[in-house]
Amino acid sequence: MFINWALQEINLKIVYYGPGMSGKTTNLEYIHSKLDPSLTGELVTLKTKEDRTIFFDFMQIEVGRIKGKKPKFNLYTVPGQVYYASSRKIILNGVDGVVFVADSQKDRMEGNIETLLDLEKNLQAMNQSLENFPWVIQYNKRDLPNAESIEVLEKKINLFNVPYFEAVAIKGIGVFDTLKAIINLVVQHVQKQI
Amino acid sequence: MVQVKKLKDGSRQIILTPQQFDEITKILSELAAKTKASTILLADISGQLITQRGNTDDINTAILSALAASDFAATSEMAKLVGEDAKFKLLFHEGEKRNVYLSNVGDNFFLVVVFDVSVTLGLVRIYTKKAIQNLINVFETSDKGEGADKIIDQDFTSMLGDMLDESFK
Repeated sequence: MFINWALQEINLKIVYYGPGMSGKTTNLEYIHSKLDPSLTGELVTLKTKEDRTIFFDFMQIEVGRIKGKKPKFNLYTVPGQVYYASSRKIILNGVDGVVFVADSQKDRMEGNIETLLDLEKNLQAMNQSLENFPWVIQYNKRDLPNAESIEVLEKKINLFNVPYFEAVAIKGIGVFDTLKAIINLVVQHVQKQI
Repeated sequence: MVQVKKLKDGSRQIILTPQQFDEITKILSELAAKTKASTILLADISGQLITQRGNTDDINTAILSALAASDFAATSEMAKLVGEDAKFKLLFHEGEKRNVYLSNVGDNFFLVVVFDVSVTLGLVRIYTKKAIQNLINVFETSDKGEGADKIIDQDFTSMLGDMLDESFK
């Protein structure tokens, strides 16, 4: 979090984390396509030829002034592929909240869990932990025929009982609910810390 | 000094007072004038833009600082891999029309100087070095800044909720 009293700005960093191809970039693309252009900046995506995020995607959104203060939300995604471990660590630097985008497909369960452990490891390196850090889960790709049941997903992934959302990010289902939830959670968390 | 608060959960909070902001802006303006840099940014290592000087209309500076922070972080990892214990202090990108010079300012911040190829690198280096020292001095001056509690209160939280509903319709 960065507060600039001269400009009355408050900047928060939110990172979309999850296994490869789980739909992190799709979330940002949907938000970018639907938000009023006056509220959102350009969406930068650093992709490989195969459409995989190589470093991160980035977008800044604003919601106008609140009591004279201007909150700005910097949204990032991390590359999901296992071999981009250092990029993920770098992007988590200074993070205020995380959206964990899980792939609901049955055969992706292992990937989800592996990435969640990787997130915890990276948070611990910054003296934080999923146990008391603001994060939410988005179970994406709910429309696919091989999607795992929410009960099973919850049991295996939602270890700390954080808010979760069912989503079909490509159609925008659940995307804004997830974003709203993480922003609210981050702000409440900041309040609690004071 | 610039408040870099460690919160209970280990997260970091950077708070800049109006006085510090003024002084920082002054230092950057001077650097811009001396080096004829087209754009100068000061950002924190997580990629948050703190302030900017020069021509910033044609450049999305929020994105530039996010990219520059990652550039920096990536090179730090590179430093580790090649057995360099300290972080690399500066990065230089040479273009056909413009060059970009990035340099650490203490542990938490960095400067991005974008300048025309007609300006010699040596000049940029000298003045940037001086500006960095001045910035570090500003960061170290004591102050009694107000904390996040003055911004984020119950009212703020509920109003933000309403505005999110409105914006995300």
